[in-house]
Amino acid sequence: MRVKDVDLFQRVQSQDEDALEQLYDRYEKLLFSFSFKMTNNKFLAEEAVQDVFTKIWSKQRNFDEGKGKFSSWLLTVTRNTCIDLLRKKKDTPYELEERDSLNETEPTPEEELEWKERGEEVRMAVGELSQEQQEIIELFYFKGMSQSSIAEKQDIPLGTVKGRLRLSLKHLKGILKEKKERGVRDDV
Amino acid sequence: MSKHDLLLDYFNGQLSEEERKAFEEHLTECADCREELRELEELTEDLPFSSEPVAPPEGMKERVLSNITGTAGASDAKDNPEPSDNTITLGKESQQPEPKRKKMSWYKPLMAAVLTLSLAGNGAALIYMSNNETTEPAPPQETPPEETPPEETPEETEQPTLDIVQQIHELQPSEGVDAQATATMIEQSENTNLVVQASDLPPLEGEETYQVWVLEDGTPFRAGTFVTNEQGVGAVSYLMEYEGEHQFDTLAITREPNAHSEVPQGDILLSAPL
Ligand SMILES: [Zn+2]
Repeated sequence: MRVKDVDLFQRVQSQDEDALEQLYDRYEKLLFSFSFKMTNNKFLAEEAVQDVFTKIWSKQRNFDEGKGKFSSWLLTVTRNTCIDLLRKKKDTPYELEERDSLNETEPTPEEELEWKERGEEVRMAVGELSQEQQEIIELFYFKGMSQSSIAEKQDIPLGTVKGRLRLSLKHLKGILKEKKERGVRDDV
Repeated sequence: MSKHDLLLDYFNGQLSEEERKAFEEHLTECADCREELRELEELTEDLPFSSEPVAPPEGMKERVLSNITGTAGASDAKDNPEPSDNTITLGKESQQPEPKRKKMSWYKPLMAAVLTLSLAGNGAALIYMSNNETTEPAPPQETPPEETPPEETPEETEQPTLDIVQQIHELQPSEGVDAQATATMIEQSENTNLVVQASDLPPLEGEETYQVWVLEDGTPFRAGTFVTNEQGVGAVSYLMEYEGEHQFDTLAITREPNAHSEVPQGDILLSAPL
């Protein structure tokens, strides 16, 4: 039987190297890909993944089961780590990676299947949003920009950023929900 | 701006340490903000999955795991005011024990070995710049490099490795330059790794980098790129792999307009005969 993420997490916190490796294997690719999406730089993305697991290993981050899914929490830690790295590294001249130069990969372990399907859904749903809505989500979530930078970039009043973002995200969630429901019906 | 308006910047870790604390305080009192934060988390939870799958770089697993179990510490995390990772984490985080030092059970990659030698185990993650090249602004210098000779590094005595330190060179500053650098050549298996550490270098601007070169009869070969931190300290580890046979006679550091110079464009700041 598959060991639960939370159990692995707890073992990692008590310095169990096998558990660390298992947890790492489970999430390496998702965290790396997400970090790469955030930083657009594979060196920074690797550093982010390194930081995330270091934080878990050295108990600088604690997961509370009462607060939701482990994977969501882990992705939040990853996102915050990327934002932090981007801020620290913003003045340094790293080469940006061309997305195409990175090899698309080979076999698909079971962990990736859900991600692939879900990712496809989310990307399609994002595609249905207006250009502006897509942009505000990108700037806010993936670029981690401040409210004022977003206002400047989108040329809108500061006070309207939150409302727009919320509307865009809700719209996205609505599309996803609809897709899911339709998907269920189609399966029947 | 009222407190409620800080929510987005809180979520994105854009607040100063002080603002962040104040906002977390506010969260305990303001149900609206708590609810909005929860909603924001819920509304964004699908987004990470939209990332296109990208293959991790070769050797990443070994690097990451051995850094964690072997040499990495909690050292660089204390100073980042990070956004809370889980709604409101008001309780004190538990103390941060040093990761225990023990024999690494993972394959120990070249980089980890070099890290141990060059940065004396402060656990800083290196940024890999291109193939075999790494660069990073060195962390604030606590121990001058001279005080940590490689043969005293604990990691090295704990387990046999194939590393052989070949030569250590002190670079001489050119006239009018007030900086120091050392270069260490480490032989491992078939390869030679060049580790350069420098301090007191003038600050870089824009896209500028410091570039290490090895010269053979006046012909320069790139041998590592680095940038410096606020203290003017920088380091790079470079795997020396050049086509054909070479007899390098000089090692030099220049300041370049960007990380791509194929020949030196700046003056030589520091150099050493090889
Ligand atoms: Zn409020």
